[in-house]
Amino acid sequence: MNTRRAPDTLEVLLGRVLGAGVMFSTIALAAGLVGALAVKTGRLTNALLTTGVLMLIATPVARVVVSSITYVRRRDWTFAVLTLIVLAELVASIVAAMR
Amino acid sequence: MPSVSLALATIIFVSGAAAGSLGALLGIGGGVFLVPLLHLALGFPLRTAAAISLTTVIATSSSVSAGRTGDQLINLKLGMVLEVATVAGSLLGGLTANLFSETTLQRLFGVVTTVAALAVLARVNRRNVVRDAAGDPGLLGGRFDEAESGGTVVYRVKRLPVGLLASFVAGNVSSLLGIGGGVLKVPALNAWCGIPMRAAAATSAFMIGVTATGGAIIYFGRGDLPPLAAAPAVLGVQLGSWMGLRLAHRLPAKWLKILLVVVLLGVAVLMLVRSAR
Repeated sequence: MNTRRAPDTLEVLLGRVLGAGVMFSTIALAAGLVGALAVKTGRLTNALLTTGVLMLIATPVARVVVSSITYVRRRDWTFAVLTLIVLAELVASIVAAMR
Repeated sequence: MPSVSLALATIIFVSGAAAGSLGALLGIGGGVFLVPLLHLALGFPLRTAAAISLTTVIATSSSVSAGRTGDQLINLKLGMVLEVATVAGSLLGGLTANLFSETTLQRLFGVVTTVAALAVLARVNRRNVVRDAAGDPGLLGGRFDEAESGGTVVYRVKRLPVGLLASFVAGNVSSLLGIGGGVLKVPALNAWCGIPMRAAAATSAFMIGVTATGGAIIYFGRGDLPPLAAAPAVLGVQLGSWMGLRLAHRLPAKWLKILLVVVLLGVAVLMLVRSAR
């Protein structure tokens, strides 16, 4: 089969961002959980757990940021604008969450 | 809300693993099973159950999509277009979540799972149509090599506004109920927009991470997302989806769909019965 194209570099890049985000947040959550249950809940375990949750939530946001930057650099304005709208909607969620 | 002891954390972990493997097996994510487990069986308020489930949705979406780059199934451009609608829906859902009573949300959950079950039931015997490999996929369409038929599938996107509307509704429901929204998006993209099932599922799985994020941020900010309860759920669901993905290839698609219908209807009945109390 000769129709197979090289994978889109953006897709590979986004895969790395998502994979790294999940890996680090999983490690933080696992460490925090084991610490809280096996030793005791304290400032360190709370910090680990909260960091894990925040890193997890930040992962798709980072993925959208990387997409926007890539489309701007490629001067693909249609998709640059679309991904920036998604980013704006996520920022609106953050603003709403902080009120 | 129950306080998280070692025993409860273990139960949440096992529930997450069960929901995650079922979700991965059936290709719809574990949220639709995890939320009823956390809410009906473990006594978490529906809002907290939804918030915890959304974090597991983000984890599943991210790890599945990270592992899938290169096999051409994720339609990035279509995903980015539909995300505009789905994240808007999820933002609205997050903002309005505390305006609805728990009973209303339980009823909505029952209705959504029933609709999803019927959508799957309608397609039990349907196979994907393999389109002309020389065709032009257009701006938003795509192509991928299919192992089963040994050919290249090319598809164009039809009825984009319908896809946008379905994504908006899925995003909204996702935030309110803590499910990924794939149960609504995948059938809609497949049936109405002409996207082959596998590409629809991969693109939906890619999108639901960002969909869930809109809602999760708001729940976290409002203190409805306890990290100590979310941690075992996220870890369990990750383990479960890893197991489910390995099992999925061994079971025939038709039986998977029938299993999905039965489980979804069961969840719907449980939620509706609870809302009637």
